[in-house]
Amino acid sequence: MCDNTIKVGEYIVIQKQNYKKLHKFNKPNSSVNVGKDTINLIGIEGCQYFSIFKMIPKGTKRNKEYDLELSKEALNLIQEISLKTSGTDNRNIYDDGRSQKLSATEISELKSDSISASEIVETLITNSNTFHNKTEFSQAKYLKKKEKKYFEYIQILKPNLRNITEILYKLDPSKVQGVRIDTLSQIMTLSNISSEGNHLLYDSGSNGLLVAALLSAMGPQSNGQLVHMHPGNMSQKQALLAMNFTSEQNNKCVSVNVYSVLRQVYQGSDTNSADSATEKTTNLKRKAPENIEHESKLPKLEVSDTISDVNLNKEHDDAKENNDDKENSEVKENSEIEERAPKKPKWHFDNIRASEILTQKVDSLVIACKEDPQNIFMELMNFVKPGRPFVIYYSVAEPLQNLYMTLKSLSNVGALRLTNNWMRNYQILPDRTHPEVMMNGSSGFLLSGYILK
Amino acid sequence: MSFRNYKSKIDEGDTVILYLSNNLHAIEVKPEIKNKKGEMVENVYQTTFGALKVRNLIGVDYGSRVDLSKGWGHVLQPTPESWSLTLPHRTQIIYTPDISMIMLQLDLVPGSVVIEAGTGSGSLTHALIRRIRPHGHVYTFDFHDHRAKVAQEEFDDHGLAEFVTARHRDVLAEGFGDELSGKADAVFLDLPSPWSGIPHAVVAIKNEGGRFCSFSPCIEQVQRTCSALESHGFQDISTMEVLQTEIKVTKRTVPVRDLSFLRHKSSESPVDEKPNSEKSFVVGTWPTSTPGHTGYLTVATLPPTFIRKKCNQVQESSDQLKTIENGEKDKPNGAEEMSIDENQ
Ligand SMILES: C[S@@+](CC[C@H](N)C(=O)[O-])C[C@H]1O[C@@H](n2cnc3c(N)ncnc32)[C@H](O)[C@@H]1O
Repeated sequence: MCDNTIKVGEYIVIQKQNYKKLHKFNKPNSSVNVGKDTINLIGIEGCQYFSIFKMIPKGTKRNKEYDLELSKEALNLIQEISLKTSGTDNRNIYDDGRSQKLSATEISELKSDSISASEIVETLITNSNTFHNKTEFSQAKYLKKKEKKYFEYIQILKPNLRNITEILYKLDPSKVQGVRIDTLSQIMTLSNISSEGNHLLYDSGSNGLLVAALLSAMGPQSNGQLVHMHPGNMSQKQALLAMNFTSEQNNKCVSVNVYSVLRQVYQGSDTNSADSATEKTTNLKRKAPENIEHESKLPKLEVSDTISDVNLNKEHDDAKENNDDKENSEVKENSEIEERAPKKPKWHFDNIRASEILTQKVDSLVIACKEDPQNIFMELMNFVKPGRPFVIYYSVAEPLQNLYMTLKSLSNVGALRLTNNWMRNYQILPDRTHPEVMMNGSSGFLLSGYILK
Repeated sequence: MSFRNYKSKIDEGDTVILYLSNNLHAIEVKPEIKNKKGEMVENVYQTTFGALKVRNLIGVDYGSRVDLSKGWGHVLQPTPESWSLTLPHRTQIIYTPDISMIMLQLDLVPGSVVIEAGTGSGSLTHALIRRIRPHGHVYTFDFHDHRAKVAQEEFDDHGLAEFVTARHRDVLAEGFGDELSGKADAVFLDLPSPWSGIPHAVVAIKNEGGRFCSFSPCIEQVQRTCSALESHGFQDISTMEVLQTEIKVTKRTVPVRDLSFLRHKSSESPVDEKPNSEKSFVVGTWPTSTPGHTGYLTVATLPPTFIRKKCNQVQESSDQLKTIENGEKDKPNGAEEMSIDENQ
């Protein structure tokens, strides 16, 4: 049961109506902005996930600040306000802006008097000329609209891959390279990822979504390992952090800079294995600056990405802070190395560990990149065991089409498929069922296949 | 046994996938099989590229090229995806695009306990097993006793027995059984009247809550399912459709017709039907005929017991559908709209 209580330090999902937000719950009495409202989260700590909280306005002013009060369920206007009379159609309704007898100021006073949402709406209805002539359907629609406006409840959910994918995509698809939920789900199956085996991921900017997805499918208790290559200084981690994985599960993933690890694989810059590293400090001292040097030659793209990330994530202030902290400490670590050789940075061991995994070859390869996938695939395919699958994601088709033509001529790649997805959501209502008016037409493309001997 | 762990070599008893110029075939590696007269004879697999002596596969590395009498192919270790494309059909099956979405929507991770009905041909089951192993379990039910039996045998043969239990049972009439009440993280239904299974799903799902998904080809089924989900206290009800298109990639050389010379007086003939030159493109061709519908996926969350709404008293009768604003899938309190139409 303790697994399902809200804890300080964890990421939480705040749901208000159909709006969801990812938030790092850093301090018991921290505040969070949900739309225009500021909500103080004091009191949610220790409550169970799925708890519903009533938003209690602070003070009498319209300052949009709220405290939370644990509630048994979200009340429901349509149930509370009984519809007495209704018309049969809209023939007598004129939208002349005069149907509401209360003035705008009167309405806002009503709101600041901190009475309940149902009371506000009931007053509005009493003062409306047209409400009782509206059809029952329109009345319900009206109440629903008002409910949305005055809805006073939030629910705290536990983050998982599904809601994180949804939230990040809604926020800005470009920050997750446009990886839509259906495409993500297929990356997870086509790569045959499971609790078993070692896997290789190259990701140049999905904000940790790909690594979160693969690690979640690998689970906490397995022998499998994931090598996560990225072109930057630090791997992007937002989605990964939001999963609240145990350190045990996080440790299955070794995140490495692609240049450092390939240099390690091919040139063996640091020959000391993870456990015998202490004896080789002199060696490390000589090699460390080299690593720093090439890590600073990062593709521009990655750098700017991290920055815009920071802007984007007003929503995720705390996530960002956290990342920044890590980044700083990483930088510190690196510079320490230059001064005092004996302290071995984490990336040093990570490179060695990753290169050991790669040398033994992996059971799947996933690439989600912004660069031309061709060179990356041609390099990384050498680390995949024969008979194992690969999946390459790209947001548009052409780079994958070109790669397809190249791979078709290779004898050690087979069962190539270039695919695209289509997804539509539906409104399900009696006599009013239809596809959602807006749909998302951009799923990205997947090139999948098998490495052959 | 080749479904269980990653392997490097083919053993007798493995199922292997033979890949032949973009066609996949599943072969059970048995040196001998029974012929029509019941005698054991050499197992020879016929392909468009000639015959393959199955005995010769034993000891071969996965991923290798194997020679056929009129060509060659490659042998792959099966995955749930290649199995879905090659398995013997006993029913309609669900394919990878829907399977992938179902697993993500059900929040499945290693360790999850998931209930499935009906088992059918076990296409989805194989993918579920891969996702929840090694510590999770799939309980799969079919009211067709032969299908349930064959499925269990198949799981045994594939080395998956410890992760899955296939039972013969009419789940709509009898539920999922007492031993599963409060045990499941997720329930998936692919059968003709999923709405009747929802009360059983509520019983089976853990007190901490869980996810539900049903796959239905017809929108009328979806309406009744949504209505039943609503009245049984589910939240975040949402219906979607997922389709995958395969794009054919080819190099295409296209003629270039130059018209600019017509601007100037020239001795050349003004009518020239022959193109002047050629240009080469790599093109993706979208299929003229492609799956346009598989089924609707309806998903929902059953919240934990402490916050779960009591089942609405109203009978779910087929013609008195309750209103559900399914589009608003993220609404924390989903049950509201229902009452609109019911009050009358
Ligand atoms: C379309 S098939 C399922 C296919 C499966 N999802 C797959 O991917 O292979 C539907 C199955 O549900 C079974 N079925 C139908 N009603 C059932 C019930 N009430 N209880 C158990 N099984 C049922 C049928 O026998 C049939 O095998």
